[in-house]
Amino acid sequence: MTELRIDNPSAAETEDLAEHQRMVRRAKWLKIYHGSLLPLLSGIAGLLLWELAVWGFALPQYLLPAPMQVFETMIDRWPVLMSHLWYTVVASSVGFVIALVLGIVVGAAIATSRSIDRVLYPWLVIAHAIPKVVVAPLLLVWIGFGLKSGIIFVVVFTFFPIVVSTVTGLKSAEPDLLQLVKSMRANRWQTMWKIRIPTALPHVFSGIKIAATGAPVGAVIGEFVASNRGLGYALIQAVGSLDTPYAFASVIIISVFGVTIWYLAELVEKLSIPWHASQR
Amino acid sequence: MLDTASFVDVKSVEKTYFTPSGVVHALGPISFSFDRGQTVGIVGPSGCGKSTMLKVLAGLEDRTRGEITVQSRNVNGPLDDVGVVFQKDLLLDWRTVLENVLLPAELRGRVDEKIRTRARNLLEELGVSGFENNQPWELSGGMRQRVSIARALLLKPSMLFLDEPFSALDALTRDKMNVIVQRLQMHEEVTTFFITHSIAEAVFLSDRVIVMSDRPGRIIDDIEVGIPKPRTLSVREEPEFIDITRRIRIHFEKAGVL
Repeated sequence: MTELRIDNPSAAETEDLAEHQRMVRRAKWLKIYHGSLLPLLSGIAGLLLWELAVWGFALPQYLLPAPMQVFETMIDRWPVLMSHLWYTVVASSVGFVIALVLGIVVGAAIATSRSIDRVLYPWLVIAHAIPKVVVAPLLLVWIGFGLKSGIIFVVVFTFFPIVVSTVTGLKSAEPDLLQLVKSMRANRWQTMWKIRIPTALPHVFSGIKIAATGAPVGAVIGEFVASNRGLGYALIQAVGSLDTPYAFASVIIISVFGVTIWYLAELVEKLSIPWHASQR
Repeated sequence: MLDTASFVDVKSVEKTYFTPSGVVHALGPISFSFDRGQTVGIVGPSGCGKSTMLKVLAGLEDRTRGEITVQSRNVNGPLDDVGVVFQKDLLLDWRTVLENVLLPAELRGRVDEKIRTRARNLLEELGVSGFENNQPWELSGGMRQRVSIARALLLKPSMLFLDEPFSALDALTRDKMNVIVQRLQMHEEVTTFFITHSIAEAVFLSDRVIVMSDRPGRIIDDIEVGIPKPRTLSVREEPEFIDITRRIRIHFEKAGVL
């Protein structure tokens, strides 16, 4: 921040300067107040209220544990929770990477060939319309218990946003721009690399962000049904034995994992397309 | 031998679109020719097929009937050395200003120090020097359009096609662009074919103005503009200039498009 300064100020200017400095200080304070202080206070107040409510109304632990109880459980059973987390992370990331590759390939095929588009389109619409949760029990039948089921369920969960965004992205180059590079005698390959793909990237990234947050959700639902490991399994197990603090601990860890993935995707996006309007 | 024939020869060219909902006769038949180094302006009502004509002439779209020759060569597919500027500047956001100007050279694998110098000189002539390493979005609309003109001229094309290049600019910027483009066109000696909605702009920049009818576009007048170049903006107040703009306006009034 640069200091406000006037050389050889007159009396009136000195007064102005003091006033301006006051205004700048006020603006700085408001920035901190709105930017971090208020949200932080709100969070702390909420937790405090929750803690007090549990003790005040003498709620049993299996109904609603207090934040401190959840925290204690998390510390006590940290190694177990981490091993479940690891399983969920593996299922999510392997599934997500498969969906990413598959989604971009299928999306590119649809975007470049009208016939492929017409052939695949009805199937995609139908597949997408089926509530994905109902696929989970079927996967148990088809593939069985374990990691493979989980991975496939993540693929099912994250594939569609990537396909759709890739198709939209690759088709969104302006016709006049395509004619312009045609006038520069660009071949198909150059048009793809220098025009279509950069144009597509911002769209693909919005699909990737949706898919990235969907991946842990998919993994957890998969673990509800067809797994004896992972945070989804931990959650089911905890609820089944009315171990609510453990259930809360699992949910918190799942959420932190989801938020981490989201910020990772945002980071990659920021590094890949710094030129896009959303990143400026 | 080439010098005796016209530089561009258009013979009974027509364009018809066949769509599921029917046949749209967009253009022609149209015939005209013009010489190397000339600036030809096209004016006509919206939707009269001016843009279609430009694209057909540049080989970007196929014609349905007729023949086009440029330098006595039959046009089939995109012409080899043309520059095109559209109403939108169509700069690529992921490239700097200089990288945008260099695009045509890059597509032909011809980026070297010589072409970089050429790009910088063009930018300077167009009054955008000092912005080479900026991103396009940091520039105003008028400056962006100048960058796209530099890009079109980079490889010294023998023909420049401008499709309503200044329609999106404010009146003052537009005047300024007219002066800049005139200077550049004379300096680069590039045969220029441009489309505009503005009668004054057409007369100011052109050696010849072609007036088109409503769709399907046909030529209803073809006017030589004898005012010597370079012209200053005040030439628009001269009787000779006004005579021509009136003549064009009367065509439009008769056609009921004004």
